[in-house]
Amino acid sequence: MTVTAQQRGIARCTTCGKLSRITTTSQAQSWHCTRCAAPLSFRQPRSLQRSWAYTLAAAFLMIPANILPILTVISFGKGDPDTIMSGVVKLWQADLQAIAAIVFIASIAVPVIKLMIIIILILAVQLHLPLSKQQCTVLYRFIHFIGRWSMLDLFMISILVTLVHLGNIATVESGPAATAFAAVVVLTLFAANSFDPRLLWDLDND
Amino acid sequence: MTNASQIPKGLTACPDCDLLLHTSDSDHRQEGHCPRCAATLWHASNPSADIDLAAAVSGLLLFIPAMSLPILKLDMVGQLGSNSLLGGVVRLWLENEHLLAVLILLCSLLAPLMHLLLTTMIGISIRLKRYPRYFPAWLKCKVWMQSWSMLEVYAMGIIVAYVKMMDPGEVSVASGTYCLVGLLLCIILCSQYFHEEQAWQYWEQRS
Ligand SMILES: [Zn+2]
Ligand SMILES: [Zn+2]
Repeated sequence: MTVTAQQRGIARCTTCGKLSRITTTSQAQSWHCTRCAAPLSFRQPRSLQRSWAYTLAAAFLMIPANILPILTVISFGKGDPDTIMSGVVKLWQADLQAIAAIVFIASIAVPVIKLMIIIILILAVQLHLPLSKQQCTVLYRFIHFIGRWSMLDLFMISILVTLVHLGNIATVESGPAATAFAAVVVLTLFAANSFDPRLLWDLDND
Repeated sequence: MTNASQIPKGLTACPDCDLLLHTSDSDHRQEGHCPRCAATLWHASNPSADIDLAAAVSGLLLFIPAMSLPILKLDMVGQLGSNSLLGGVVRLWLENEHLLAVLILLCSLLAPLMHLLLTTMIGISIRLKRYPRYFPAWLKCKVWMQSWSMLEVYAMGIIVAYVKMMDPGEVSVASGTYCLVGLLLCIILCSQYFHEEQAWQYWEQRS
């Protein structure tokens, strides 16, 4: 028989980890942690709604991020705009398969997989899907671990625009997709942080 | 605003699945894991507790050279180019990529700096046993900054940029990269050996 903290009226502070006893008798009353003064609740408030909002916004911005050029190499006055995917293809064709794979994983695979996993997790809670809680929790930890690696392409842009700034010979300019992609990365990070994994385990308790 | 009432010692709740557990002091000698979802519940209490402070101070010393020295150098048909962390942010801002510039400023500069600075401040105040009113704010800010500090991803970005530019020009690693590697090591040590729960307990038992 497993007992959760919520069943005993105990809330874990998400900021400092301290346990406190709170009651839900009056809605207007708000509880605060005695150790760090952060607001207390049993579960992250409106976790699923916020996750949905960030996920849908990120999914929508994936379109401009992948269609528009992200990087333009101007060599002797001749511009050569690249989208994320065409950049990967060019690296591959230049026999730089390892780097092409890294960029592909960081810029395309990670954001897509991350959004898919978040949607699966939200649906698992909302539709009571019969998925293994252990495996869902592993997926949740996985998206937290890989999320930050999507920043790779953006860091590379900031390195290249500064490094290759050689007047007439060659310059590198960032394209409109860079801002869209930055927004995708930030929104997916927010989406992952908004999801409360305890909601998955609550399905077992009802 | 109501302050929640205390609960007895020896109870732990899993952050990932909310399982309520009874623990004894002897359990805390080793790392603790949740029996239901395998989350890490606490870290082993480490006797060599000065590593976090030492790493944070070393990181701060390396910070300015790592940010301002050139990271890569490029030679294309006799024209020389170089980049630094700070230079990358300035360049993007000048090219009107303001959102991108701010994000990169946060993840590669501001967050690592604040992470090291706050760890130093917290470490010193714990060792002096003097806890200022802002101690909880420092701790909260440290956790937030740590989550946005992405220098390890930046290091991978350097490798990708290096390989990408090998073909069209002559690219070489410059002094900033070595400082950055040192800084990265300090940040990793600093994150590994700093335990928030312990810092919160010091704050709670201050008086
Ligand atoms: Zn708290
Ligand atoms: Zn657990």
